[in-house]
Amino acid sequence: MATNNNEVLLRVEHLRQYFGSTKAVDDVSFDIKKGEAFGLVGESGCGKTTTGRSIIKLYNITGGDIYFKGIRIGAGLYDYKKKIEEAKKTPGGQAEVSRLRKEMKQAIYDQKHCDRQYQREQVQKVKEKYQPLLAADEKNSELRREYSRELRKARKTRLVTQIQMIFQDPIASLNPRMTVREIIAEGLIIQGERDKKELNRKVLEMLDLVGLAPEYADRYPHEFSGGQRQRIGVARSIIMHPELIIADEPVSALDVSIQAQVINLLNDLRDRFDLTVLFIAHDLSVVKYFSDRIGVMYFGKMVELADSDELFRHPLHPYTRSLLSAIPLPDPEYEKVRKRIEYNPLAEHDYTVDKPSVREVAPGHFVYCNDEEFEKYRAELASDNG
Amino acid sequence: MAEKKLEVRNLMVSFRTSNGRLQAVRGIDFDLYKGETLAIVGESGSGKSVTSKAVLGILAGNSIVEGGEIIYDGKDLLKLSESEFHRIRGDKIAMIFQDPMSSLNPIVKIGRQLTEAMILKGRARQKESRFLFNSYLERLRVNMIEAEAKEDAAKAAEIGAKCKNFDKFEYKHLALESDYRRRYSAASDAADDIDALTFEMSKNGAKDVVYRVNKIRKEAALSIGKYVVSDRAEELRGKIGELRSALDSDRKAKDSSYKNTSAVLTCIGDVLRDALAKTMPNFFAMGYYLTFSKDPLPEMPVDELNRFMRKYLDDNFMLDFIADAKKGLMYSANRADEKKREAIALLEAEKSVFNGNPDKKEWLAASDKMKKAVESSIDQLETVKDGVAYTFGESLRGSVELYFSSIDKNKRESARYAKEKARYDAIVARGKTPKAEVVPASVTDLDEAKEDILRKIDRVLEHYRERLSVANNRNFDDETVAMIDFLKANASGVVNKVTKSIAKAKAIKLMEEVGISEPRKRYNQYPFEFSGGMRQRIVIAIALAADPDILICDEPTTALDVTIQSQILELIGKLKRERDLSIIFITHDLGVVANMADRIAVMYAGKIVEYGTSSDIFYHSAHPYTWALLSSMPDLDTDDKLDSIPGTPPLMIYPPKGDAFAERNKYAMKIDFERQPPMFKISDTHYAATWLLHPNAPHVDPPKTVTDRISRMKNRRQESYGDEQ
Repeated sequence: MATNNNEVLLRVEHLRQYFGSTKAVDDVSFDIKKGEAFGLVGESGCGKTTTGRSIIKLYNITGGDIYFKGIRIGAGLYDYKKKIEEAKKTPGGQAEVSRLRKEMKQAIYDQKHCDRQYQREQVQKVKEKYQPLLAADEKNSELRREYSRELRKARKTRLVTQIQMIFQDPIASLNPRMTVREIIAEGLIIQGERDKKELNRKVLEMLDLVGLAPEYADRYPHEFSGGQRQRIGVARSIIMHPELIIADEPVSALDVSIQAQVINLLNDLRDRFDLTVLFIAHDLSVVKYFSDRIGVMYFGKMVELADSDELFRHPLHPYTRSLLSAIPLPDPEYEKVRKRIEYNPLAEHDYTVDKPSVREVAPGHFVYCNDEEFEKYRAELASDNG
Repeated sequence: MAEKKLEVRNLMVSFRTSNGRLQAVRGIDFDLYKGETLAIVGESGSGKSVTSKAVLGILAGNSIVEGGEIIYDGKDLLKLSESEFHRIRGDKIAMIFQDPMSSLNPIVKIGRQLTEAMILKGRARQKESRFLFNSYLERLRVNMIEAEAKEDAAKAAEIGAKCKNFDKFEYKHLALESDYRRRYSAASDAADDIDALTFEMSKNGAKDVVYRVNKIRKEAALSIGKYVVSDRAEELRGKIGELRSALDSDRKAKDSSYKNTSAVLTCIGDVLRDALAKTMPNFFAMGYYLTFSKDPLPEMPVDELNRFMRKYLDDNFMLDFIADAKKGLMYSANRADEKKREAIALLEAEKSVFNGNPDKKEWLAASDKMKKAVESSIDQLETVKDGVAYTFGESLRGSVELYFSSIDKNKRESARYAKEKARYDAIVARGKTPKAEVVPASVTDLDEAKEDILRKIDRVLEHYRERLSVANNRNFDDETVAMIDFLKANASGVVNKVTKSIAKAKAIKLMEEVGISEPRKRYNQYPFEFSGGMRQRIVIAIALAADPDILICDEPTTALDVTIQSQILELIGKLKRERDLSIIFITHDLGVVANMADRIAVMYAGKIVEYGTSSDIFYHSAHPYTWALLSSMPDLDTDDKLDSIPGTPPLMIYPPKGDAFAERNKYAMKIDFERQPPMFKISDTHYAATWLLHPNAPHVDPPKTVTDRISRMKNRRQESYGDEQ
């Protein structure tokens, strides 16, 4: 399902998210191209969920930039403040300070008004569509009403609604006091849709799409099994016709047989709506099956990023190797001889002199390493391929 | 054959709900052997958790145990009172729950929750060990006297004195040995800590140095004792003294590689490793020597000393005692066999009573007679209790009483049904639709109840005949040694006291073992300060703290990520090997159990649909549900669309008539919707309940995904074996 489209939908640059002294995400950069499924793996507490939540602006990020469709939707101010303080201390740094202040202002402005440009575009689109129609048929009040409705919706549209999230826990993420219909329609209502019939039609369409019967629309979440609840969560996010879906461990809480149903559903929807997916999970077999590219995170850092086949064929970073060696396979004989590789950062790396950074070892294959390791990895790759 | 730890027979559990009776478990049977892992696999709602909760006696309040037996240690767990269950739950049978948050107390610190059980159970265990030791030694004494010296009072007194002596020096032995073990484990801990610390120092990455050095100092100082670090004690003391000044100088010099400290630590490590490599003295013999010999212990190397003491013990006491004990055991076993023969004769004779007219008095009298006969035929000196014999009496009487209470109940029920049905029909006749359905009469099949009684008798008969047929092959030498080991083990249970500080040390060690970093700091935190994975580790640590016999793991790794899952599975596997644990492992993920299960039972809708060894299930599975489970999970080579199982499991308030899986089964035949398939035997270890195995059924191959994966696995294995060669 790999795409040849090289349009970058989401770009994350040097993302940092600190909670007090805890560096949950520390300098993570990656791109997601349009139409691809990007997997994020790592053990619990490594910052993969935080990364997802920072992108959708559930947190105010500490540092770095997030671009969605080329528009800066998130910018961290911490770095600017720090740099300004440093510049103040250095003699003659006044010019530097004013430059940084300007940049910071721009960042604040971008963040605040990222929707404006998008809204303008949307309004333009609606106008382009309806004005010729209206000019041709001036007395059509039905059309006029539709036009004003669409225009209002376009003005209220926000860019971030193009990013939707599916949460891990299907029980906790659904409001127990809302019916399925209300849950699914909520996003549209907030967006300004008022037509009950239209809402109902869309909700039923979504229910059909995710494989739930239409009569379920008036039930409450507790009446459903785990897999069905997760389908409701999927329907709620799909109804906004998003371009990017952040799926945060969507199948971890489900039974194996139901997992397969939900994964198949997500795959179908991907093909149908040309969705881009950021797939966060810890089950490597599922991530491998679902994703085109995979990023491996360890303690807030992205240690390796590559095509999924490449990553599984030639894991370079010792942490990735340890992760891959831990995957259980449904084969008792193989399991008896399988050895898990331990990863101890102190024993593996010597970063006292030579500081590490993310480097491209092979085209599209990035590893967090220093110069010495870089050479080593390249040699390994060459010998593997040769 | 290995010892059976747990037997589950025809267990049936259902729940009262507002919509009717939900049948969660519908008659399952399995055995759990010592030191094996039995995995129960199935979807949520298949009844796997209910089964495990029944074993632990923690079923929800609205549950009804409709029948069956769970036999553990000669007791039927379903018939135990709550206070009796307290002795077993957590101590003998422990459980790791699915949801870590709900199994931890939110307002009690982690440390307290970890040590609480250890301290309480420690006390209880001490008491129980003392009881077992005393009662078995007493029984042994009685049997020894009866075997050899029935009329000879002098000889009897001699035997009594021997038993007393055994008691006396056994405690001396344990005091010596536990002291040695404490020092030895301190030394090995210190050596391990030193290795870790010096390694980190050499990498300039050591943290917490002052605390860790202090800990090493304490441990190293503790390890100095008569039999651990004895010859190089002075050297070690000197080095320990140097440690503090070395550390001070390093810290003053702000040396992040701690050159001086690590040099001293290396010396200490050498001394300790040297000490650890030495052979352990034979404390059992030494206990005897120190208690009864007037001479002091001779000075000689450990090996020679061991030989010397062993000889002394054998000459003066042991050989004699073993011979007597063997006679006692043989006497007791022969008497029990004799009684068994009598019991068989009696059971055969009395069995006909149950075939005659049902007369409550007569039947109860017969069952009491049988109960007495079977109970008297139990060998009191057996350390492994014979579950069938122990539970026979109660269970037979229960069945008989059930039979007679059913007669009345059936009458009542059918009367009620007839009345309600008449009312219902009257409403229908008037052309209206009644508001409520008529609840069908729950009539107990009396023939089935009678069959059940006879089956129970037959089971004992068969079991006893089997026992008698192998009675001549028993090796009493081995059994005597096993008996003495059993006594020793219980004596050590009495000596091993758990105090608060020991519990804390043990808890911190356990926390380290289950992979919690900074256990000292974590020890004083509350559960909400932990992440999900960490909480689950704490729960595992708590379950292991009581050192259980049987461990039930209910989806312990479902919420954890791969590395941690793998670590925890390895941990459970390691503990299983070390402590010879029996494990019931419940999961919905077949991939997880490939690693650790010896046998696997696949459950669906309250029944076991297939069971076998793990290679049977993974390579030769025969039930369509197992195929579906296997093919619905992706592995690293899956590219095609996943074969998900359509639909959801049936609602068990209205269990389907035929095979419960038929609705979702691609391979379902007509008969699947009509009759429930029996268990078909595929091999000695492998059974499956599907009509596909019937001789008249069409031949069906497993789905391609499964066969492909098996062949791919085979290739991969060959490749990896090839690499090793």
